[in-house]
Amino acid sequence: MKSMESILKDKHFQLLAFLITSARGCVDEPKLYGPLRLLDAASRLIDIMEDEGKSNDEILKLKELIEENIDVLMYDEEEFIRLLDELAKQLAKIIKNQKT
Amino acid sequence: MLGGRFLELITAIKGRRAVRRFREEPISLEHLKKILEAGIWAPSGSNIQAWEFILVTDKENIEKIKLISPGLFDNPQALIVLCINKKRAEKGGRLGENTALMDISMAAQNMMLLAYSLGIGSCPVVSFNKTAIRELLNIPEHVDPVLILSFGYPKFWPKAPRRRPLKEVVHVEEYGKHFEG
Repeated sequence: MKSMESILKDKHFQLLAFLITSARGCVDEPKLYGPLRLLDAASRLIDIMEDEGKSNDEILKLKELIEENIDVLMYDEEEFIRLLDELAKQLAKIIKNQKT
Repeated sequence: MLGGRFLELITAIKGRRAVRRFREEPISLEHLKKILEAGIWAPSGSNIQAWEFILVTDKENIEKIKLISPGLFDNPQALIVLCINKKRAEKGGRLGENTALMDISMAAQNMMLLAYSLGIGSCPVVSFNKTAIRELLNIPEHVDPVLILSFGYPKFWPKAPRRRPLKEVVHVEEYGKHFEG
């Protein structure tokens, strides 16, 4: 069992807290804050995958793309939607190149 | 004739940005006090001042607040949680809480402009969980947290977002007669 101090620093717990509070926030916040929070969560998840050795360069590039562009929503809604499309495209490329 | 004070003020108003990336550099208590003081000098309806400001600088407390605040980014060095004291706001009658919210908004702008004048970046955040922050900071029932301001020295000043032009926003003498000046 983890101590409370280490739980606060645990990235899984941090993601859990982020997801729960984001879920409540999305009830009242602007519609596009939903995808914004999901992208933020995706970036945090990639962080965790990296720590656990489950990531690779292609996945880390997704995180880079998110982190460099996530603020764009505050300036340009259309550009933010283009970012979501680009991420989906890059994700599809990763999936396509995998052997099952 | 526009004097130096006007130029300084308009520079601050137009230069302030929502800063979400901060350097690891603490803000002195002296500067934080100046920022808080700018807050209490905001206009207040009927001078009721139904505001309470909670200053948070302890790293661990900031981390805990970040956990329950999806809109709070990076590593701010200080937070100010702006709250409405509903008991005080009652003195403003049925408009009391609305007026308090406006007062707090003006206090927040004062704080952010003062911070900017000191080279400190800030960001207003409403995306936080009210129930959780109440629990974390022992905020009593009659006090309502409505806004968090995060502060820190910016890694960079973000570019200016688009503003609706005066011609579109301003109506002269009656609604619909747009400003042509």
